[in-house]
Amino acid sequence: MSTATETLQLPATLGRASDGYVGQFSQFTGLYVREMLRTFRNPFVIVITIVQPFMWLAFFGGMFSTLPASVLQGLLVGAPPGTSYLSFLLPGVLSTGMMSIGMFGAMSTIQDKRFGFMKRILITPTSKATVYLAKSLGSATRGLVQIPVMLAAAIAFGVTIHGNPLSWAASLLGLVLLGLGFSSLFLAITASSTDWQTPGVVSNFITMPLMFASGAMFPSAIYPPWMKAIADVNPVGFSAELSRSVLTYGQFTGHDLLLLGLLAAFAALMIGIGTALATKYLKVE
Amino acid sequence: MTGNGWAISAHGLTKRYGSLLAVDHVDLEVPAGSIFGLLGPNGAGKTTIIKLLTGLSDITEGTASVAGHDVRRDPMHVKQRVGWVAAEVILDDDLSGWENLWLQAKLQRLTDWKGRAEKLLAYFELTDRRKHKVGTYSTGMRKKMEIALALLHQPEVIFMDEPTIGLDANVRRMLWELITGVNKEFGVTVLLTSHYIEEADRLCQRVAIIDHGKFVAIGTPSELKGRVQADFVELETSEAVTAGRLAAIPGVSSVAQQGPAWVLRVSSAEEVLPRLFQALRTDEIHRINVEKPSLESVFIDLTGKRIDQAGSDVQDYRKFYMNVRRARQ
Repeated sequence: MSTATETLQLPATLGRASDGYVGQFSQFTGLYVREMLRTFRNPFVIVITIVQPFMWLAFFGGMFSTLPASVLQGLLVGAPPGTSYLSFLLPGVLSTGMMSIGMFGAMSTIQDKRFGFMKRILITPTSKATVYLAKSLGSATRGLVQIPVMLAAAIAFGVTIHGNPLSWAASLLGLVLLGLGFSSLFLAITASSTDWQTPGVVSNFITMPLMFASGAMFPSAIYPPWMKAIADVNPVGFSAELSRSVLTYGQFTGHDLLLLGLLAAFAALMIGIGTALATKYLKVE
Repeated sequence: MTGNGWAISAHGLTKRYGSLLAVDHVDLEVPAGSIFGLLGPNGAGKTTIIKLLTGLSDITEGTASVAGHDVRRDPMHVKQRVGWVAAEVILDDDLSGWENLWLQAKLQRLTDWKGRAEKLLAYFELTDRRKHKVGTYSTGMRKKMEIALALLHQPEVIFMDEPTIGLDANVRRMLWELITGVNKEFGVTVLLTSHYIEEADRLCQRVAIIDHGKFVAIGTPSELKGRVQADFVELETSEAVTAGRLAAIPGVSSVAQQGPAWVLRVSSAEEVLPRLFQALRTDEIHRINVEKPSLESVFIDLTGKRIDQAGSDVQDYRKFYMNVRRARQ
């Protein structure tokens, strides 16, 4: 240790916001940037995030690529003639991908609890709601990484991307809202957990049924009534339908605006409920 | 600083986890600028007291004020004024030293912190490693880094939970100097917990001895030692030796059994030992240990057991640390 006394002559005052309500913006940006640093420094996470949806396209899409056009036409109810299955599937995979990214935020929260880092955070003037929101936005952001990769892969597989920058922005916003909603939901469900296994179990439990009962993989018109009932209120379906309208069919209609509104409502609702639950139940360790 | 001169003041502080009373109506007053120690075995409630005083855990009953703010009513302002050094060294291993400081500055809402951070790094001799991930630091460096984080926002009070647990003797001595230095040079009040007698004795101006969530004694180390007007002789013997035989030795005021050992409270070890050797055959004595007045003997006197044997589950902390480190890699 340094013995020179002058090294200890520290500035007497530090810039700090004044007393009263303790604002949370600085803490939020700190925690959000931390999530980003941790994510983008882990090449493994990036690779998996990118490869997983890519495999959906390759394997699931590949399975249907050799179907006779007539069979495909019967399957893709409502799609314009000549729509390839891959171009139908792409928006669905983009949407289901945004659904499962919430698992990463939940896992990073559990890691912070288990290594005690949650204590380090909460011993500073940082509210549980701030921690929750930073994690939620962090995992939604992580999910966005897969979008350009997916689009590039789809183009490489011969899919034509339709639309214009404005409608792409609407489609992207829909995906972001879906990601925010689901990462908020995952984090709320796992707020009181400290078990590594919980996020995986929760993810499987939520993802599988919502993926199939959504119209992401096939048009919901071919579903039995009970599955269609789920699909009609499933945000994954809203997002898939919106992005399909934009990217596959090159449209942006009033119905798509409604879908965007529903996705915004879903995200707002999940964030609202999640923040309240996290404030109450987020465990320190 | 606080108006009444207390950096920490708590009354009737109580924490219940279900039916378990972890902290039982503790009264505590720590003068600003001092080093105060909570000494007790593992599981006595030391860490819980820190959690209560820092607002990390809800207080079940009682009041507490830290750095001039009520912990229950105003936890955010308490948190702006306290630093914390964890027993298990908690840093973000994936971030560099500088990034850990940056995050701490963000969490403490500091806007002009870089100059101080650089000076702290220089003080703790971490400047040349600032850009490396803290996961690559040695244990001593990690501990220093943690103390630098705790000091970054100029706290009035620093809580150090078992600051030297699991460290080897050299690092421990280095940390003792550091803690004394931080207290003097930075004028910060330190509340530390320990189950090492020597640590509490050497560092703390005042010590509270805690067992089963209760303070059993509080005072300066010399006051506490002066309170025990006796020495303790601890011995392991063959089975032929009975409590009655030991109690009959002149100068022995009480006999207690702890595990395989007898603990004799004696007026003076120097006078009693020769009589003990007369009363027992040498082959009946397997081990003998004399405890002169120390914080250990205070603890023995008050609770009838040694600090390192009193914990409900005495853990192998080195093993614990190795597991933690391994899990992080």
